[in-house]
Amino acid sequence: MTGARRISEAELHAFVDGELAPKERAEVEALLAAAPEGLRSVRGLTELNERLARRYAHVLEEPIPARLAALTAKPRVRARLSPAWARAAALVALLVAAAAAGYLVRDFRGGNGGPQPAFVASALSAHQVFVPEVRHPVEVGAGEEKHLVQWLTRRLGTEVRAPELSAEGWKLMGGRLLPDRGQAAAQFMYEDASGRRLTLYVRKEAGLTDAAFRFVERGDFGAFYWIDRSLAYALAGRLDRGELMRLATSIHAQLGGVGSG
Amino acid sequence: MTSRREAVAAEIPRLRRYARALVGDSSEADDLIQDTLERALARLEQWRDGHNPRKWLFSILHNLHVDGLRQKSRRPPHVGLDSLGPDQSAPAADGASGSDLDRALQQLTADQREVVLLVGLEGLSYAETAEVLSIPMGTVMSRLARGRDRLRGLLALGLENEAEPAGLRRVK
Repeated sequence: MTGARRISEAELHAFVDGELAPKERAEVEALLAAAPEGLRSVRGLTELNERLARRYAHVLEEPIPARLAALTAKPRVRARLSPAWARAAALVALLVAAAAAGYLVRDFRGGNGGPQPAFVASALSAHQVFVPEVRHPVEVGAGEEKHLVQWLTRRLGTEVRAPELSAEGWKLMGGRLLPDRGQAAAQFMYEDASGRRLTLYVRKEAGLTDAAFRFVERGDFGAFYWIDRSLAYALAGRLDRGELMRLATSIHAQLGGVGSG
Repeated sequence: MTSRREAVAAEIPRLRRYARALVGDSSEADDLIQDTLERALARLEQWRDGHNPRKWLFSILHNLHVDGLRQKSRRPPHVGLDSLGPDQSAPAADGASGSDLDRALQQLTADQREVVLLVGLEGLSYAETAEVLSIPMGTVMSRLARGRDRLRGLLALGLENEAEPAGLRRVK
């Protein structure tokens, strides 16, 4: 009777760009199962987006040129506050926040923190590249969590676990293995009911000493990172800082017993 | 007012990324961002507090970009296909494929390039893109399809030397 209809080009783009309502999306997915050329287009379009993301990701990590930063610096007020006063205020605010969260801030070196360990940039890039991914956000889905965890544990050479965040409203989607400066790293991805996504990046960092939570902001998302017994973590998402902090705290508590040290 | 300034400042990295891809040249891109920020800061009261200023900033950037194109009546720099080869010098970290992508983007019309980048690089929805560019959604979709087709065609031509099998990620 009704043969499978063709998927229009506009639908393919809308599918890749996450523009379809769930029902239309399911319909296109069903049609794609029997449309190899449609699948090729989807893959091609996805790759194009990934290429753009890879090509320009480094711009987000460049320091903002002084002439631009100066424009948005606080007007007038700055002239009255001595920088030392401002620094002290920032330090107090940070210590209060850290104390409230139950963590002692170590290695603190002023307003914007000290040098950032290299894994943070990798974690942020991985977040940026994979979070918008519609079709393949994860390599191994949460349905195979046991396999995922065993695999990542084997490849990272240390026990890795996907923390449980369902009480906070976040569902594990799955994870993937990533290269990071010649080593293996893992990324777990979570999603909440409104479709927001969160990633937890984990890799072994034998050379770095333990470090308490640090916050970094990149474009429209933020991340908390920390190092706990030779494992480096970065939790990234487009969440407000307090919410991200609560999740990081929960993860830290859950994973505190993990790691061979 | 300070929080508005901070909200604008927080968007600078994204604006710079978009502008870099849009105009291809980094100092020209930062000039565009400087103009965008100046105009935005002079009109801070134009967006309501509590809302993300991104769309607003992108539309300011768009208007300035279009004005700039008009003023200089500058066409996208024409690059012959024969110069798309990987022998062109490129930033080392990005390799030849990066510069191919830069050049291919510059061969799109400015209209197509904006849509391809706002949706594909910046992750704006079609509706947001339509709003930023002040065009109907249907126009967003047709420019997107044409722009991506053209881009893929150009890349396919310039890429004989780039072996990047699907599924393999390049490790920087």
